[in-house]
Amino acid sequence: MKALYFKELGYYLKNPIGYIVVVLFAVFANFLFLKDIFAIGSASMRPFFDMLPWLFMIFIPAVAMRVFAEERRSNTLETLLTLPVSETQIVLAKFFGVVTIVVLGLSLTLGIPILLTVLSGMAIQEVMVGYLGALLLASLFAAISILFSSLTKNQVVAFLSAALVLFFLVLLNSDFTSNVIPRELLNLLSPLAPVTQYDSFVKGLIDLRAVVYMLSFTALFIGLTVIDLEKRS
Amino acid sequence: MIQLTNITKEFGQKLAVRDVSFTAGTGEIIGFLGPNGAGKTTTMRLLLGILTPTRGSVKVLGRNPGENRVGVVRDTGYLPENNPLYPEMKVREYLGFIAGVRRKPIPEDLAANVGIDDVLDVRIEELSRGYKQRVGLAAALIGDPKLIILDEPTSGLDPIEQDRIKNLIRTVAKDKTVIFSTHILSEVEDIASRLIIINRGEIVYDGKKPAGKGSVEKLFKQLVRKEKK
Repeated sequence: MKALYFKELGYYLKNPIGYIVVVLFAVFANFLFLKDIFAIGSASMRPFFDMLPWLFMIFIPAVAMRVFAEERRSNTLETLLTLPVSETQIVLAKFFGVVTIVVLGLSLTLGIPILLTVLSGMAIQEVMVGYLGALLLASLFAAISILFSSLTKNQVVAFLSAALVLFFLVLLNSDFTSNVIPRELLNLLSPLAPVTQYDSFVKGLIDLRAVVYMLSFTALFIGLTVIDLEKRS
Repeated sequence: MIQLTNITKEFGQKLAVRDVSFTAGTGEIIGFLGPNGAGKTTTMRLLLGILTPTRGSVKVLGRNPGENRVGVVRDTGYLPENNPLYPEMKVREYLGFIAGVRRKPIPEDLAANVGIDDVLDVRIEELSRGYKQRVGLAAALIGDPKLIILDEPTSGLDPIEQDRIKNLIRTVAKDKTVIFSTHILSEVEDIASRLIIINRGEIVYDGKKPAGKGSVEKLFKQLVRKEKK
């Protein structure tokens, strides 16, 4: 699996597209946060973490769209399936490849909390919990995006369908939805929304239920991709 | 080494192979012939566990590839039809990747034997078709597989490249089983020790390669034409 993981990672690191996506993410994340920081007037990372799901919604499908769609289009999936690796190992290698790129993107935003901690004495523990939540949310979004990439040969279709699904998932936990959807339905759907679970991390709390939710759903979507790969073969 | 018993593979309503049975042992070089769409690639994919049969049983290296694909492909080298490679990789990198996944070293003389030692640091997308085919063949030979399956290994190559690949197959086949599919009938005459002809999903000939120049072509045309009538 190590060789497969490094092949995945190598694609992004030896290809300008990998750097472009990561740098774009970092630029948007840093800029969108910094532009309002002085207006807010307090040293808090909450607005940054609140904004992340919306950025992930575009950034993660953009990173993950090629992982299976391209293998199917160019037929290299057949090459992979004739190597001594299981479908689970193939999916996991690709999943960890995507997550590594997301971590790389997130690491380029670390300058802000470091600066805020130095300048204003902001509690670093809260920020670390926020980043943990962001990592778990990103992993879930990566698993969903990889599933969509496995369903098609077309990268654009993979990107758009994953982005659309993630958009609705993010939207489930927004002010807009709470104004539009009847309260009863909202009470039913809201706990299922990934961002609802992510919110506890943003508040600086490690809620075990949220951790279990994130990991379970990530495993579920990885499992569905494995099943899809096995079924198609 | 290989035992196919009454294999049938259907894709929905479409029948790809019907009631195919054959066995193969060590040291055999089997030329697998058939017109386009006859079921050659499907049969090869069944041997590798990429496809599972609708009916019948497959045993490769003592294992059922449908249930244990990883176990089968561990000892099998495969060159797929159209030889899909990763164009962005350099040749050395690609071979390193295959060796890494197989957890086997790249044989020192592999690149020289296959004739790719001068392009090891070239990106695959920059290679000619002949070189790409040799890279695919080199990848299939990593890990010293007991069974080598080559799907149209000389397709689209010029006569010189074809000769090189044929010589290579002869060299590596000594203590292995090689199955190769082809449209080039003279190729079977040159290197195969046994001939299997498949037509419309059914095996119409399985036996020794007929002796004499042009005899394979004559037999092939006779059987395939007869089937078409």
